[in-house]
Amino acid sequence: MAISPPTGSRTRLAIVVAASVTLVTLGLRDVPVIRDLREGAATVTDPIQSGVDAVTRPVRNAWHGVSDYEDLQDENERLRDQLEEAGAADISATDAQRQLADLSLVLDLPYANDIPKVVARVVSGPRSNFSHAVQIDKGSDDGLAVGMPVATGAGLAGRITQVSANSATVDLITDPEIRVGVRLASTGDLGTARGQGRGDPLVVDSSIGPRVQIAAGEGVVTSGVDRSVYPPGIPVGTVKTSRSGSGGLALELVVEPSVDFDRLSYLTVLQWQPG
Amino acid sequence: MTTRAKLFRAALVLLAALVLQVTMLSDLRVLGALGDLMLALTVAAGLTGGADRGVTWGFATGVLYDLMLDTPFGLSALTYALVGYAVGLAGSALMRTSGWWPVGVAAVAGVVQATLYTALANLMGDAFPFGHLPAIALVMAAWCALLVLPLIRVMWWVHGHSEPDRLEVLLR
Repeated sequence: MAISPPTGSRTRLAIVVAASVTLVTLGLRDVPVIRDLREGAATVTDPIQSGVDAVTRPVRNAWHGVSDYEDLQDENERLRDQLEEAGAADISATDAQRQLADLSLVLDLPYANDIPKVVARVVSGPRSNFSHAVQIDKGSDDGLAVGMPVATGAGLAGRITQVSANSATVDLITDPEIRVGVRLASTGDLGTARGQGRGDPLVVDSSIGPRVQIAAGEGVVTSGVDRSVYPPGIPVGTVKTSRSGSGGLALELVVEPSVDFDRLSYLTVLQWQPG
Repeated sequence: MTTRAKLFRAALVLLAALVLQVTMLSDLRVLGALGDLMLALTVAAGLTGGADRGVTWGFATGVLYDLMLDTPFGLSALTYALVGYAVGLAGSALMRTSGWWPVGVAAVAGVVQATLYTALANLMGDAFPFGHLPAIALVMAAWCALLVLPLIRVMWWVHGHSEPDRLEVLLR
């Protein structure tokens, strides 16, 4: 049977498509009104979200108990080994222990010592299948601003892209749109790292000749070159493999990120702005 | 029911769906992907009210969702509106053929929206990897199929339903 919509429906579709395309264009041009709308929406929904978050936490915890069962088993094994090694005798809550360890790590970063820091809790993971951003519970009232780098004890996690009074959005370095200036820790060779999406390693486009051998496990840190948006020396990851890049003129490195993006609970915002 | 009452109910449903989406559902990942309550709402609107209602709800849910995301603004609105329109047409065409068609249509809508979004995002220069698409499409299809029948009831609560049809018989 042929589907023949009434003319009114087609007109409405045309209007809506035109409106959507206009919004997309405005969004791509990053006009202030769109940014303000998004910040306003975050400010309005933050309190509601916190309330619902608290109410629905048991459901989400139960879900993670089922869906992350194998990961939890592995983690349990690892924690048990660590506990035996340390001779710890009296730990009543594994979850509390893990959170304490996470918090200790972000409070005492082994790098960027001279940069003021704000520790924030991750309140929500990526909100859609096409997003690479997480929400944290600190905002402009705590001194946060767009562009500030965000890290964990393990290394660079991302960068703040939106701030409201009491929350902020952190775009993770797994986002294919993010570029991070990096250098190899041992040789100082420079490159640009880009994400490939959730769960996938980073790819570094380097200027290293295609015949050079780069050993797996080589450390990669932020380059901090002039006008870089990240301070120098923050761990980004370790080289997994290297291969000839497109065109065969330079080496492309596959880098395993230092940060475990599936288990972000606390993040440290470095109150640093590019010079 | 008055137009004002319908608008009030629609606003209530939209807000509740948005809050649930960005709080509870954003944490319930399967195969690394999320369900999409906003899309399921759009599908239910298209199935109960045809192409007109599908496109309107698609645009409204999409704009609201876009406000909460860091992805290209307006892209959810565009893809939801197109899917809502197509679902409305499909609903009108398939209504007399089988019993569980809303579930099937919802699953297909999930796959179509995920594919359309990824393709348009890449066209716009947002390099979203196609490798993640199969898992996302599968999970979105499953969630849409699961949610569509209860959400059709929600749509009836918002808009009322003037004449009995196969959907009502199915859900009775």
